[in-house]
Amino acid sequence: MEPPLTIQDQLVAVTIGLVTLIGILAVIARVPLIYNVRNLMVRWRITLLTAMAFMMVVGLLVVMLAFVNGMYRLTESSGRPDNLIILGQGTQDEVFSSLGFTDVDSIETVAGIARDSENRPLVSKETYVIVNQPVVAPQKGRPRRRFLQMRGVQIPEISGEVHDVNLQGDWFSQAGVRQAAETDKDQSTLIEAVLGEGIARTLGSDRTPEQVANAKNRDRLDVGDEFTCGDRRWIVVGIMKSMGKSFDSEIWAKRELVGRMFGKETYTTMVVRGENRAEAARLVNYFGSEWGKASLQPMLETTYFNNLNGTNQQFLIAIIIVAVIMSIGGVFGVMNTMFAAISQRIKDIGVMRLLGFDRSQILISFLLESMLLAVVGGGIGCLLGSLSDGWTANSIVGSGQGGGKSVVLRVTVDWAIIMYGMLFSLIMGAIGGLLPALSAMRLKLLETLR
Amino acid sequence: MKLLVLMLKNVRRNILRTILTSLGTIILVFVVTLVWSVLEFLDAATTEKSQNLKCIVTERWQIPSQMPFSYSKALEQFAWHGPNDEQPLDNMMTWQFYGGTIDPTKRTFDSVLFAIGLEPRKMFTMMDELDSLPPREKAELKAIADRMTEQRNGIIVGPGRLKLLKKQIGDTVKVTSFNYRGIDLEFEIMGTFPASVSRYDLSAAMNRDYLNNAMDAWARTNNKPHAMANKNMNLAWFRYPDREMFEQRADEIMNSVDFKDVPIKCETASSGISAFLEAYRDLLWGMRWLLCPAILFTLSLVIANAISISVRERQKELAVMKVLGFLPGQILILVLGEALALGILCGVVSSGGTFILVNKVFGGVAFPIAFFGAFNISPNALWWGPAVGGMTAFIGSFLPAWSARTVKVSEVFSKVT
Repeated sequence: MEPPLTIQDQLVAVTIGLVTLIGILAVIARVPLIYNVRNLMVRWRITLLTAMAFMMVVGLLVVMLAFVNGMYRLTESSGRPDNLIILGQGTQDEVFSSLGFTDVDSIETVAGIARDSENRPLVSKETYVIVNQPVVAPQKGRPRRRFLQMRGVQIPEISGEVHDVNLQGDWFSQAGVRQAAETDKDQSTLIEAVLGEGIARTLGSDRTPEQVANAKNRDRLDVGDEFTCGDRRWIVVGIMKSMGKSFDSEIWAKRELVGRMFGKETYTTMVVRGENRAEAARLVNYFGSEWGKASLQPMLETTYFNNLNGTNQQFLIAIIIVAVIMSIGGVFGVMNTMFAAISQRIKDIGVMRLLGFDRSQILISFLLESMLLAVVGGGIGCLLGSLSDGWTANSIVGSGQGGGKSVVLRVTVDWAIIMYGMLFSLIMGAIGGLLPALSAMRLKLLETLR
Repeated sequence: MKLLVLMLKNVRRNILRTILTSLGTIILVFVVTLVWSVLEFLDAATTEKSQNLKCIVTERWQIPSQMPFSYSKALEQFAWHGPNDEQPLDNMMTWQFYGGTIDPTKRTFDSVLFAIGLEPRKMFTMMDELDSLPPREKAELKAIADRMTEQRNGIIVGPGRLKLLKKQIGDTVKVTSFNYRGIDLEFEIMGTFPASVSRYDLSAAMNRDYLNNAMDAWARTNNKPHAMANKNMNLAWFRYPDREMFEQRADEIMNSVDFKDVPIKCETASSGISAFLEAYRDLLWGMRWLLCPAILFTLSLVIANAISISVRERQKELAVMKVLGFLPGQILILVLGEALALGILCGVVSSGGTFILVNKVFGGVAFPIAFFGAFNISPNALWWGPAVGGMTAFIGSFLPAWSARTVKVSEVFSKVT
């Protein structure tokens, strides 16, 4: 069976359909399009101002949609369809979850769980905490504390495989700690940590200019660098190259150390890799209804991250509301332009009628003129807006019911967003041009020539 | 005076254009007013105060903060006793978060009830915005708090949450808890938060004794303490008259031996809120430095467009005015004045209308960010509107006005046929 069309496909189809319809109208109605184009060029100042209004509204819409698109992509790419995530009963967010050791101690023995090359079950046992950490050197006007997302994992190699982590450097050792170098005056024990690139950048910004000047990597912390968390010194042993995933903002360390330091002695999360998607779905049912040791809340990892789209939807709705309101303001500007264009060309309209153009052709002519403005202004707006592609931004993804994860996302402009921008612009142009075009159509021939 | 009359006549000359430009201005000022109100509120919430400041005591490292309730007694010694306190410890309050659903079979956002366990009478001495209510609303809230103190299963619910729950005052609700597992409580809804205070629109407040007694009962029944027994206090709030006292008491709290089991920290409320809002930093930056300037620029363009058309259509008239003795400066002022009159008037209508509509009719604009659910329009919007309308009108109309000023009589009449 053919897969159903996605919203993006439908959008592209609608936009292309609309543009084609305009072209067909222009051809069938035999509208003197060149006349409209020349009029726009003659009144270039007004044309420019109106096109700039389109440009601003559409450009802004593209940037805002690209931001939300980045959030959606992040939540979509953070989960695997053959992974399932198990939380404590009644919780939807890792931070509120609690799984007793005895509740899940034999989980690896369940049939259907995938295994790694050493025949170890791919089960990642994790304790996730949010640490409220003082900022080392807070800048003026910026918060003095920040939230660090810390994930304690039992066997890092397995967790890395379950979560598809691309690691630069090493995982932390069995002990999870190491002694400071002999040359170090402070001979305290350092906790080994693996950092996502996003949080490595954030923590790297705490360094003094001298430290940055001497650093191995000036943009972020790198392997061998140190940072402070929870009154202890930590050393970076690896960097997760996980841009665009929620792990990009996390610090991973030995689970026992994390739990003890931050008062969370139980697991919060189990992430299990099924042998395949069907097995993963079966395991969700098994842990949800047949696991006898405790009540659990299992779900596919993709479902979990879909549930974190609540904030995305809130932002999307807010953006649509703002864009629509702004566009209404812009539409009034277009109407002004088109009404002025008609009032200045009343005699032209009369001459066109004398030449044999009927009322519908006059209507289409002015409507097309308005939409031409929209295409030019909207097109430039889309181009300007697409410059935001690739920006990184801090945000939060969550269910929209409290909690959530701080993430570093990549602002992403794709064709669907460009199509949204153009469609939006065309609709603005059509609405803004319709009333003036109707008024032009209704002009009486004798009145126009008087 | 003559110029003023001319300005107003010109504004009325093309009614359709005036209406379209006005509507465009009103709508764009509306968006700016909304966005600035949100930003102003968040700025105020994160600005450090030097006097009458609130501070929060929370668990030192972990979010969400969970401390033993026994800490509340030990913390009392650090509270400030104000000269006008109506009851002991008016300047300290504890919060215990109790969350659950009224429909355990289908947990949705609409069926969730999230209540703050507190001492009801502290609501109007310690809670932001409830502590500065007008007398009538304060008396109403006080009456509800008194009832909640007497009848411990009482609960006060925000108007928005009450609507989502499809309940009304006087109804009872049974809540199946998801953070205090096994402690399901039945509440009687005794009232709602005042509609003028939008920040508690989706929240609720309950008597903390009701929760604590239920935990004691659970322990007696099960012969063991509940899993949340040592994690059942989430925050403690203090109010201090000045920064000096705050710093001294914060230091004492952080170094007290009473709080060694679960380490705690003490920070100003604004500092705590700043940390929560850090995740929204780029979004707020975008609202402040991309969205608002873009709207203002669009507004200037809309006005510039209208005035340009108007000036273009009136070339002959402007030339005649010059012949009649009007100075170029007067013509400049005439065109600028038209735009300013329109911009300022539309600004007043827009911001005034937004203020009344959002605050009085809708009870705030819903924009969930961190723990703020809805925002009211700032009273400052009443001057932002005319200022924005006037400023954008001035910027948008300056070039067209300048071109009107420099109209050359000979050129205009040379084209007349």
